[in-house]
Amino acid sequence: MAKQSLFEKYGGFSTVSKIVLDFYDVLLDSDDVGPFFDDIDMARLIDHQTKFIASLLGGPASYTDEQLHRLHERLNLENSHFDEVVETLSDTLKKHSFSADDVAAVRDALEQRRSAIVSNNVD
Amino acid sequence: MSATMSIEAINEQLLRAIGVGVAVLSAADMRFVFRNDTFQEWFNSEEPQDTLAELFPDLDMGAFSAELKTNGRFTVEVKRKVKRRERIYAADFTLSDDTGGSMIIMVCQNVSRIRELESMIDSYSQMVERNTREIKREKEQVEKLLLNMMPRSVYEEFKTFGVVIPKLYDPVSVLMLDFVGFTQMAASADPAVTVSELNDIYSAFDRIGEQYGCERIKTMGDAYITVAGLPDPTPDHARAVANAAIRFIRYLERRNEGHPNQWRCRIGITSGPVVGSVVGIQKYVYDIFGPAVNLASRLQDLSEAMEITTNGPVYDVLRDSFRFEYRGKQDVRGFDEQDIFQLKDSREPIR
Repeated sequence: MAKQSLFEKYGGFSTVSKIVLDFYDVLLDSDDVGPFFDDIDMARLIDHQTKFIASLLGGPASYTDEQLHRLHERLNLENSHFDEVVETLSDTLKKHSFSADDVAAVRDALEQRRSAIVSNNVD
Repeated sequence: MSATMSIEAINEQLLRAIGVGVAVLSAADMRFVFRNDTFQEWFNSEEPQDTLAELFPDLDMGAFSAELKTNGRFTVEVKRKVKRRERIYAADFTLSDDTGGSMIIMVCQNVSRIRELESMIDSYSQMVERNTREIKREKEQVEKLLLNMMPRSVYEEFKTFGVVIPKLYDPVSVLMLDFVGFTQMAASADPAVTVSELNDIYSAFDRIGEQYGCERIKTMGDAYITVAGLPDPTPDHARAVANAAIRFIRYLERRNEGHPNQWRCRIGITSGPVVGSVVGIQKYVYDIFGPAVNLASRLQDLSEAMEITTNGPVYDVLRDSFRFEYRGKQDVRGFDEQDIFQLKDSREPIR
């Protein structure tokens, strides 16, 4: 049998919906990354984040690097923005009782996407 | 709260603190006469906002007044961006009867979360629907693949019960075919070309066989096995394989005329009982076993290139409608001495 995804392990959409809303609240409130969402329609943003988190947790969605690149390229994101999102997501997952190992796994998965998302990926 | 507080005072306290935005407007000039704390918090602004039009510049005041007058009620959803966060409020206006219609009660609920959740459910159902479509497509592909490996009725049995009970089919007719010099051909020519040509030929055989009611059982390298009378019995099984065999050769002859690679086959056909079953646990394969299979294989061995070799039972059934050439009695390994016949294409000139 296929290995159970984190999406399934932590209770499927029921849990993921709460994670998405928490994540969304914190991100929008942030003074660093929040401004990127200033002009984005709520429905679109929620849609994007639902799919994004579902795909990170192995749920029924997936983004190719190409898609992620296209979605983020005009935002001119810096590594520091990406770092903040990684931290925000980690905190949110911890709040929803994700084990340390599973949080690390999600961070790894997210890290794989860094170059697709960050425009100025030079330290 | 002190015990001496009047009911009115308590009511007003509650009204102020409640998580619903409440305001009272004078119907005459649409000026606010009361706004509770929640309402103030939700709709505070630097701009003057003493009237409804000032607070909600986008509101169509004409439509608002007209509907309020006819129905006594009006509902609208208003959006506010609070620190880039879209807040959505459902505002409900009621013309108050107690005041003879001179006051409008405005009640606002914060429905942002509900709208956000609705968006999320939309997003999620899209994902799930897309996945369901993908799974369905995958299932169809698997089904197609399995149907290539076994007859449909066997597949249905396999799908329903998870197993296939070996079944005796008696009588059926078996056609065995192989190619003369295939090993040499595969070694000397470009193997990729050889395999691709073999694929073309087998696909053509499949189509021809299907036309005559034959069920392709399997191919193994250059060996092709098809059978008629299975899984559904048919009285015409011998005729079906005979017709297919003749067309196989016709097809190859025509193909050879236009191709550098010459494909020459030998065919053996016979009738008799076979057992059909799915074999294997991890790697399923539908196969047939039994004397008719072995005998067809021996007859194919006896065959010359581009000839169809058969024996008594097929000859007896088809002698009136097909041309045969008697080849005498021959020993066939594992069987009694057999009367051997060549099945001829009626288009072929009689020698």
